[in-house]
Amino acid sequence: MMNAKAEAFKDDLAQQPWSLYLTQTRRLTVIELRRNLVSWRASWIYFLAFVPTLIIFIHLLFDSHPQSTMSDDSNVLAGIVQLYYIRLGIFFGCLGIFSRLIRGEMIERSLHFYLLAPVRREILLLSKFIAGSVSALLLFVTAIVADFVLMYAAYGPAGRAYILSATGLAQLEAYVAIAVLACLGYGAVFLLLSMMFRNPTPAAMLVLGWEAINPVMPSLLQKLSVASYLRHMMPVSIAGEGIFALLTVETEPVSGWVAALGLLMLTAVVLIYSCYRIRKLEIRYTTE
Amino acid sequence: MSVYKHDYRAYTGEVTPLWTRVNVLARYAFSEAWSSKITVTLFTLSLAPIIVFLILIYVANNPIARALITRGNPQAFAIDAKFFLKVIEMQSWCALVVTAWIAPRLISFDLSDNALPILLSHPISRVGYISGKFIALFSSLSAITWFPCLLLFAYQGYSSAEHWTAANLPIAFGLLVGSLIWIAFLSLLGLALSSWVKWRVVATGVIFAAVFVPAGVGGIVTAIMRTKWGFLLNLPFIMSLLWQRLLGAPEFMRSGQSIPTTAIVIMLGLACLLCIAMLNARIRAREVVRG
Repeated sequence: MMNAKAEAFKDDLAQQPWSLYLTQTRRLTVIELRRNLVSWRASWIYFLAFVPTLIIFIHLLFDSHPQSTMSDDSNVLAGIVQLYYIRLGIFFGCLGIFSRLIRGEMIERSLHFYLLAPVRREILLLSKFIAGSVSALLLFVTAIVADFVLMYAAYGPAGRAYILSATGLAQLEAYVAIAVLACLGYGAVFLLLSMMFRNPTPAAMLVLGWEAINPVMPSLLQKLSVASYLRHMMPVSIAGEGIFALLTVETEPVSGWVAALGLLMLTAVVLIYSCYRIRKLEIRYTTE
Repeated sequence: MSVYKHDYRAYTGEVTPLWTRVNVLARYAFSEAWSSKITVTLFTLSLAPIIVFLILIYVANNPIARALITRGNPQAFAIDAKFFLKVIEMQSWCALVVTAWIAPRLISFDLSDNALPILLSHPISRVGYISGKFIALFSSLSAITWFPCLLLFAYQGYSSAEHWTAANLPIAFGLLVGSLIWIAFLSLLGLALSSWVKWRVVATGVIFAAVFVPAGVGGIVTAIMRTKWGFLLNLPFIMSLLWQRLLGAPEFMRSGQSIPTTAIVIMLGLACLLCIAMLNARIRAREVVRG
């Protein structure tokens, strides 16, 4: 019985026009990418991504860099990634990018053009998600790599040696992985929220609050947070301050790949549910 | 129907005073803001901390309850400047949430529907239009900030056996002035950002981002440049510092790291000027037609 069902499912998969889906995905992704990256409206995301880079660049030009401050700067860089990029930059950037993908089209009253086209709704959703992810990754990963290089380049030969050393490259790899996973995780969550609510911002603010208080939650509840997975991947740990330091619940250390897999699974689950929701999506422009 | 008679004359009857015209806008803005169930829900939730603080004041002033809970520790449940600093901080965060919800409702609809030219063709100026919206937002925020804070102060004065009120009047002054500064700033910020963002959905997010993102950028400046002046971009931080000084609560910063009050006031003034410039650029009787 089970074998018959599996065979039927296999046949069903084989009969799907995959090359058509691929073409449609590519076209839709390119349209969205152009909108996300090459428009005046997108300039604020560039600001969010590159404002730390600008500050580090000014620091590189005008401040002195004695060797003794290199470890301090490593901590500062970890703080920038953990406290600025994950909590603010990537969070608000993804909120803007991914909320616009479906809800923005509804407000502009243009989503029905896509829905009337002979494209499966899942393809439409996934294409938009891919475009949003590529936009966010391109900006934030580039910014983090630039931050890393500029931060250590100021130390001359010692800094350059650190960048190219195994430790330096491992640190950069961890930051890039964190940025990628943060963009995918927040992106999937905000895409779903934008389909569930007419105004996804209040729900997003609840997510922000949840992410902020998550370290003081029991370990089981910590698993329902994007930032908690990313915390395990940080190469340099930044401890909480004040009352948060006292209340923080230290969970068992999780290896990087387990944390990454956990976050990817969370993203996949949210995307599957989004695909289910978009099949039942109805547009009422009068209520927007 | 053809119109042959062209000798129109200006209206010579009684004209309503200018200030009452602003009230009309404020009244409509107020009803627009409060027409949403979510506004009512947010308002109710914003008053929930006040009930908790009220219970704390009751416990602090009830000898039996105090003896049972504090077990002889006199510092527990002390109702002083530090306690009221917590109250004003909590209510101010609630005010931010309410602003992010209400402010876009007041402006975005007029802008997205191209209603400004019609509104401003009435005998009302641009300043009058903004004042009307400002009054509606400011009065809504007053109901969750200085008003309940002063009620708590009054209740503590009534409950306390000693001559508490007279000895702690600077706290009441700090609560009033600190709240007024914050809600005036929030009202301006909310209206300015809402006037620049066409979509209400985006405007709500932008108001939050305008408070939190500069705080993060300020943190980066502080950490990288090794300077305390980056804190000036951290709005929640400088407001906490200002409230702490207005209330006379103990300083929470190290002496070398503290920011002078003058710098905080100048920063807030500059931010308000920027908001006014944004409103001036955007609130105009014009219609944008694309296509």
